[in-house]
Amino acid sequence: MKFKILWARPIAVCFVVCLVGLAGHSPAWGASAPDQATAEQLKIAFISYANPQQVIEDIKPVVAYLEGRLRVPVKGFVTLDYGSSVESMRNGHTDVAFVDPLAFMMAHEQIGAIPLLLEVYPEGKPTYHSNVWVRRDSGLTKAEDLAGKTMAFADPVDMSGYLLPRDIFERKSLIDGVDRPDGGFFSRVYFAGGDEQAMRAVFNGFVDAAGVSQYAYLLLRPEERDQVIPIAQSIESPSHLVMCRPGLSDDIQRKLTQSLARLDISREEDKKILDKLYGVRGFVEAKMSDFSSVAPIAARYGFIKHPATFMSDAGK
Amino acid sequence: MATAHIIPPEELHPVAEAYRRCTFALNLNPVPWELVRQDVESIEHWLRTADADAADRFDSDYLAVLGNDDGGEDSSVEAPSTRERKRRAVFELCTRAVGRALLTALEEAIRVAPDRELARNHLNLSQAVLAAFADTLPYVDPEAYRILGKAFLSASDAIGSDGLMNHGGVSFDVPRFRSNLQTVAAYIRANFGDDFAAGPDAWLSPRPLASPTHRVRAVAPRRLPPGANLNKQLPRPRQILNMAARGVDESQTPLIALGDMAFDSAFIFGEPARSLAMSCNTCHNKGVTNPNFVVPGLSSRPGGMDVSNNFFTGHANNGHFDPLDIPDLRGIRFTAPYGRNGRFSSLREFVRNVIVNEFNGPEPDPILLDGIIAYMNEFDFLPNPHLNADGTLAASASDAARRGEAIFRRPFPQMADRSCATCHVPSANFVDHQRHDLGTVNGHEPYSMDRAMDTPTLLSSAYTAPYFHDGSQPTLRSVNEWFNTTFGLGLTEHDLSDLTAYVRTVGDGIDAYEDSVYYLDAEMEEFSFFLSAFEFLAEKNKPELMNATFQTIALEIRNHKWELQDYAHLPTMDALAELMDEAYEANQLGDWDRVVGSVEAYRRLYAANMEDLK
Ligand code: HEC
Ligand code: HEC
Repeated sequence: MKFKILWARPIAVCFVVCLVGLAGHSPAWGASAPDQATAEQLKIAFISYANPQQVIEDIKPVVAYLEGRLRVPVKGFVTLDYGSSVESMRNGHTDVAFVDPLAFMMAHEQIGAIPLLLEVYPEGKPTYHSNVWVRRDSGLTKAEDLAGKTMAFADPVDMSGYLLPRDIFERKSLIDGVDRPDGGFFSRVYFAGGDEQAMRAVFNGFVDAAGVSQYAYLLLRPEERDQVIPIAQSIESPSHLVMCRPGLSDDIQRKLTQSLARLDISREEDKKILDKLYGVRGFVEAKMSDFSSVAPIAARYGFIKHPATFMSDAGK
Repeated sequence: MATAHIIPPEELHPVAEAYRRCTFALNLNPVPWELVRQDVESIEHWLRTADADAADRFDSDYLAVLGNDDGGEDSSVEAPSTRERKRRAVFELCTRAVGRALLTALEEAIRVAPDRELARNHLNLSQAVLAAFADTLPYVDPEAYRILGKAFLSASDAIGSDGLMNHGGVSFDVPRFRSNLQTVAAYIRANFGDDFAAGPDAWLSPRPLASPTHRVRAVAPRRLPPGANLNKQLPRPRQILNMAARGVDESQTPLIALGDMAFDSAFIFGEPARSLAMSCNTCHNKGVTNPNFVVPGLSSRPGGMDVSNNFFTGHANNGHFDPLDIPDLRGIRFTAPYGRNGRFSSLREFVRNVIVNEFNGPEPDPILLDGIIAYMNEFDFLPNPHLNADGTLAASASDAARRGEAIFRRPFPQMADRSCATCHVPSANFVDHQRHDLGTVNGHEPYSMDRAMDTPTLLSSAYTAPYFHDGSQPTLRSVNEWFNTTFGLGLTEHDLSDLTAYVRTVGDGIDAYEDSVYYLDAEMEEFSFFLSAFEFLAEKNKPELMNATFQTIALEIRNHKWELQDYAHLPTMDALAELMDEAYEANQLGDWDRVVGSVEAYRRLYAANMEDLK
């Protein structure tokens, strides 16, 4: 999912925020960029989906909360994409990062990153899926109806904005191979540059369908949302997660996990923290096997080499 | 994830925003030239960063159009032919300037390829600027709009991807990127280039006159300009209905239920208010005010609007920019005459005029008017324990308020021996039912008869800032200072504080606001109340009013469903709205059994899910 829904904003100026075209490698943001590792300091990379300055503000109470519970100094900083977070972890500048499942699996293979916690989304589950979206008035009702039609995805290196929705058609044997499915089942495929652009392309009738996250309809304006409906649904993917570098002390790993997992949205003070953490419902502990559904997909496109690692919890 | 009912503004690029707002403004009569000037400046400012020569030309052409004229400071006296010539010319200049800005962005995108990041930025920018025309093009040239949309999609696709951690990258297809943007540029050059002309329509809009697919007869729906805000205040004001205070059984008051529905209904209005989903409640939220309400060009400040304008009702425009602060309707049955200047002695006549002449609605059914009046007659002032029944202060009031009360009742020679209480009669809900010229009305001819205003009540006024007919006074204290200065009353700072303490005590009340910003459950209950008028309307054989009820409930449910705290219940909300759609359709077809069936199904479904719909 290359965008993040900010589930709850006290006053929603715009309560969905999306990541738009973050091509290129963006540096860590602003003055609070990570400095050289200081012993005893826990360095956490937060991802910004739209407004880095806002995220810098948002993470202050989160950092304060964690410092209080972990009893070590915590430094939060903001990066603009997952690639930079992983890069920073590789270079020893980051201990903990918020990433999506694809970035995690790659980081695990390349630098041994460890999954700690999965985010819990509004339906109460630490998973989400992608949908095939069409206009309500299109008359299209199932994936098969899209033969010869045009299709928008978000980005070629996006789990929920391409690999997962694409998988829907593969499971039905409507497409195969790993190349972009242009000119075969679909008459034409576009990578629109993000979930919102893909949704808008369907909404405006520029394409017949879009394959993006189940939550992407929230990127449309409220009065527009009912005009777009899902007609097919992908397998469930684990949600976005918190991962840490290998070698982070067990004690810190344990305390961090406990501190976030104990947050309870029904408690007012906890809700304030969760609202700042992208407005998720809560966190649950992550296991390697949580990724067993998506590892084969990531492997098929060559993002990871050893999907078997994610099939059991032996590795953790 | 629940948010209170706040619709975020559409996010527009500054140029698109300025263009859309100034097009709106240029269509008003009188034209708010000051607003136009600000937007022209933003367009010019932005054009300058893209093409300085074009900006210079734009600037000098704009000044030439205005001529010696200083921008029409007193636009109320602008001759129709002058206004017409100027507004068309300015509209054409702005449209060409936006066309130029868009072409520059497209050319830049073409030039910077294959730098991925820059190309993406300029592509996004071009799309954002094109949004200037996006409230018109999809309606008047849908074929071309689709071609432009696809060209942008294909260009975006052609940019490819860096991949994630050096994996999965896709190369940049530069020729495809360029040719797609050239398609867009060609369309813009042909239609919104240097010889763009406004066309014959009275209502100006960016029509692509050179496009072979342009649908001459199609019209884009009228939209409010960027910067407009119809969102209501949160937490919302607490509404005090007399019947509820007396414990009356709601199911026994169908006429009031009909009125409540009408007060919340866009369907009693005509276009464009109807499609903009406006109702009485948009401005008089829960029968009170809406301090957030603003429409650039029609409001001089938030919380008010010029209600005789040519946007909402062309035929009843008075050709005069006279915005009024939205009055609180609490206790409305005690405060005749109606209108800020008291021009209607009958509430019924006033409301009919609102529907027909302010919001272009059809002639209302007499029962509908009866309903609205019955409903408004229930609006009570906030309960105020500091006041006795005769309007004197109760023992609980502060000493300062007590000293202020004496000032309030003291006759001043400077006010022709009147006291404040002469006009704001404490034993008569603080009104005298008279119109007075206090000198609060500016900008009219010296001997104009338009200067007198109806004495407003001071009850519940602590919560209805700003004050005066035009909202020109921000606080109760500033009103008192105004009286002190205008009439030379010679009140000291101390006196003013006492007087303010008094007025504030009079204007106070218990629990003026609700204590939560989530009120979907209350809203849903109210919709059931609307529907309680169904049997009454059936008995009176009023299919049209039934339709308005069904449509209003369906629309309101759809507007409010995003406030659900748990989206798992969205399907229930959808099902309820669909039952109202069905009742409406069946009623249109005269299929009475199905109408009754749908209404009953709605009631059952709501009863079964009441607890969850919050
Ligand atoms: C766009 C905002 C708006 C809408 C919508 C609106 N009003 Fe008003 N209302 C106003 C303003 C502004 C005034 C003061 C106007 C005047 O003096 O003519 C006003 C005045 C009134 C008054 C006179 C109050 C007094 O104390 O003199 C009544 C009664 C009233 N409105 C009822 C209604 C009803 C009923 C509806 C729906 C049918 C409605 N209004 C819709 C803005 C609005
Ligand atoms: C001659 C009659 C008259 C007298 C005397 C008078 N008022 Fe008023 N008052 C009015 C009228 C008329 C308005 C509405 C003016 C307008 O809307 O422009 C008004 C408006 C107000 C308002 C604003 C109410 C609102 O909702 O906008 C307050 C507060 C107020 N008067 C207080 C006072 C005080 C205090 C005094 C004594 C110093 C006083 N008035 C004397 C007639 C009078």
